[in-house]
Amino acid sequence: MHDLPQQLANGLILGALYGLVAIGYTMVYGIVQLINFAHGEIVMVGGFGALTAYLALPGGTTLWLALPLMLIAGVLVSTLTAVAAERFAYRPLRNAPRLAPLITAIGLSIFLQQLVFSFYPDAKKARVFPKIPGDPFSLGSVTIQRSDLFLIIAAPLCMLALGWFVTRTRSGRAMQATSQDPDTAKLMGIDTDRIIVMAFAIGAAFAAVAAVAYGLRSGQVDFRMGFILGLKAFTAAVLGGIGNIYGAMLGGLALGLAEALATGYIQHLPGMHLFGGGAWKDVWAFVLLILVLLVRPQGLLGERVADRA
Amino acid sequence: MTTTTTETTPVIPLPARAAAALTGLGALATAASAAMAWTWTSDFPGDLTFYGSPAGLQWLALAAGLLTLVVLLGSQGVPGLRWATPAGSNNAVLYAATGTLAVSVYSVASIAVELDGLVNLEPGGWVLAAGGLITVLGALGLPLDRRTAVPLRIVDKRLFLLVPAAPLVWFGTHAIPEDKPVAPVLTALAGGVAIATGAVLLVQLGHLANTWLRLGKIERPLDAPRALPSWVEVLVIIVAFGLGLFAITFGIDTEYGELFIGCLLFAGPTLAALTKSGLIARLRALTVKHRPVTTGAAFAAAASFPFTQSSDQYTSVATNILIFATVALGLNIVVGLAGLLDLGYVAFLGVGAYSAALVSGSPASPIHVQFPFWAAMLTGAAVSMIFGVIIGAPTLRLRGDYLAIVTLGFGEIFRITMLNLNGTTGPKVTNGSNGIPRIPDLEIFGFDLGKPHTVAGIELGRFSNYYLLMLLVTAVVVLIFARVGNSRIGRAWVAIREDETAAEAMGINGFRLKLLAFALGACLAGLAGTVQAHVSYTVTPDQYTFAEALPPNSAFLLAAVILGGMGTISGPLAGATLLFLIPKKLEFLADYQLLAFGAALIVLMRVRPEGLIPNRRQQLEFHEAAIPAQPTGEPTALTKAGA
Repeated sequence: MHDLPQQLANGLILGALYGLVAIGYTMVYGIVQLINFAHGEIVMVGGFGALTAYLALPGGTTLWLALPLMLIAGVLVSTLTAVAAERFAYRPLRNAPRLAPLITAIGLSIFLQQLVFSFYPDAKKARVFPKIPGDPFSLGSVTIQRSDLFLIIAAPLCMLALGWFVTRTRSGRAMQATSQDPDTAKLMGIDTDRIIVMAFAIGAAFAAVAAVAYGLRSGQVDFRMGFILGLKAFTAAVLGGIGNIYGAMLGGLALGLAEALATGYIQHLPGMHLFGGGAWKDVWAFVLLILVLLVRPQGLLGERVADRA
Repeated sequence: MTTTTTETTPVIPLPARAAAALTGLGALATAASAAMAWTWTSDFPGDLTFYGSPAGLQWLALAAGLLTLVVLLGSQGVPGLRWATPAGSNNAVLYAATGTLAVSVYSVASIAVELDGLVNLEPGGWVLAAGGLITVLGALGLPLDRRTAVPLRIVDKRLFLLVPAAPLVWFGTHAIPEDKPVAPVLTALAGGVAIATGAVLLVQLGHLANTWLRLGKIERPLDAPRALPSWVEVLVIIVAFGLGLFAITFGIDTEYGELFIGCLLFAGPTLAALTKSGLIARLRALTVKHRPVTTGAAFAAAASFPFTQSSDQYTSVATNILIFATVALGLNIVVGLAGLLDLGYVAFLGVGAYSAALVSGSPASPIHVQFPFWAAMLTGAAVSMIFGVIIGAPTLRLRGDYLAIVTLGFGEIFRITMLNLNGTTGPKVTNGSNGIPRIPDLEIFGFDLGKPHTVAGIELGRFSNYYLLMLLVTAVVVLIFARVGNSRIGRAWVAIREDETAAEAMGINGFRLKLLAFALGACLAGLAGTVQAHVSYTVTPDQYTFAEALPPNSAFLLAAVILGGMGTISGPLAGATLLFLIPKKLEFLADYQLLAFGAALIVLMRVRPEGLIPNRRQQLEFHEAAIPAQPTGEPTALTKAGA
């Protein structure tokens, strides 16, 4: 167990990534009760947006200059995609039965994936994403990759900014009101359409940050990266209690930790020596989800809500 | 509800008689052109160079022309043909004429494109083109059922900014030197902007056309059909199914993409025309009256398919369609009846297939046993059901949305687990990505399904045998679906789907019934999986993914159910057939298949969320929900009319 601190650090970093993506699911779900399956693809699109900005800069630009520009480009692309999706795919179905927008979301997810696959140059294979150069640095027994610094700084900043926005600004409070009761919110003069667009946009912006973090971490982006990342992030959102933004972050961290620990330690359990390692980590993540749902169906921070009839 | 005022006027002001004559002339010309040469060279697939011997697309033109003629004569009240258009609406003629135009324009255009230029048309081709145009012009002159006013819809005005933006982006990208790594990205972007601009303009054009045509529907009550002796009615049903079998066989046997697209272009408007003319309603009334005969005729038609084939080439396609369709029908219990969204359904097919493969006596299976087929089938179904209960029991107590994610996760877990059980990253059970190969052919009562047999003078190959076996499985699933769907349980499912709280207040045990639906769905998929394992010789993990270019996979299964129509039997069968055939036949689409599929899902949900063959009750629900959202109600009324 001597590498426990290292595993915990790995888990927290991974969890922060999941949490950033999970915010997008949870905000949209909290307001329109829609599982936006295409959110994973919004992440992916953001990654490619950032990559494009990197390619457009003259070669040899230092990453300290390039990174903010990449971030801006990624956020721009993600947000535009999400807002367009809301406007043209989801909004017409606002009053349709629950299943219809879900199918649209699946269609959108396949569509975006294939769009990048077919038309982004050389996207059939993973494309190289820049890494922050330099040696990993160590704190005691924990080694942290330099590229992970971005995530370690960005994730808490994003969360603080979101917390401030939701609780302190007029729009944020309008958003809370809409998520509690859209009809009454409308009666109080809140433009709920604008709030919904805003929820999509904020989720997409966070997704782009996560995409850049993912790209820096793994040194590549590919058209399929959104699927499993989105799946995990949704799991995190459910784990934390869907609809609750702090829950999303907490769920992400819990999921990341569970994954890291399962990868590191499951094989040491008696009789489980064949089920450890990276190959099984996705399986354990879902097993954890099912277990949590069994014990605490509303998720870690969620409150018990009645079904909407 | 929506009392849109309607009128019966022509779009193009023509005397009614003249319009009818024009339509008839055009239809006749189109049909006649089938007997002429359309082009001079046999380079175009199907060899359309002969006089007097129609081939390929020419058959379609002949059928379209004749159909338009019959519908026209029926709506004109010609004695003896009045049955063809019992609703008496001229809109049916217009739809049939549109089909004619689509076939003729498509044929001429594809000849011109493939052979470089209109000079390659022979007189027959010109007759065809003129015939199609005249037919539609004439049909537009007939008194049609129309709405008095349709306000012009304009797409979001901000989108028109794309029109000046497209050339700007284009020039902008060309200003960037080619050797920059970002240049190809920008070129792709410029292409995207151009396509988006085109799409916006196209949609606006559609709105313009809608305002001009103002097609609507006047509720014309069908008068009671003339009393026919019951044997005649039965005969009509049998002939109808015979025609259906012929049409499907024609579609499956199409040898080149052009003909298949022609078929689709013909089938769409033709179905619309038949619906408008009231023939479909008549037929439905008959089938309801003679339900056992209908079911028998349907299965007889399906069972006679292998006998129409001279080789195994297309029976293998048909067998896979049946597997796909059966699984889709199983999913329809879960999604369509009980309203549970299952995004990992294909995993249950995989569980069945893997179970059957493990006990099949394949040399690669670690369990060296060979179950007789009935036992293997039961094993597959039972194991699948157990997994269904394991997945369902914890999640079905929760809100519906959680089920979606847990099933999606289960689908992934299944695939990953099958990959990992390869001896290095896990216990050695499934050989990982190599799968379990060399699954032996089935032998039932000494009848080896792997060998060709001769029945009634026709040789039935391996796939024909499996086709017939699979048809039996399909029949069982259809039977289960029909019986359960109409039972107390089925009604309880529908009640849960509509409003779980209210259903529980009525004394329905929601959790237990949902679990039953989920387990039954899993069990049926497992059943199909056991046959699939033997048909395809090998089971591998990547046959069971969430979204892949080829069906069956979870996304396509769900799409088959939604596209076909939730909660019906024929819907998923039709949806699965279409979704299987389209990628198979249009291989030139290969790279963009999934792209088109994704886009089609989005568009379909937007315009016709109730699917191709809607469940009556569900259709009302969908549109009731849509009416307050769009007080002008124009798309609503249109789709309602289209149904």
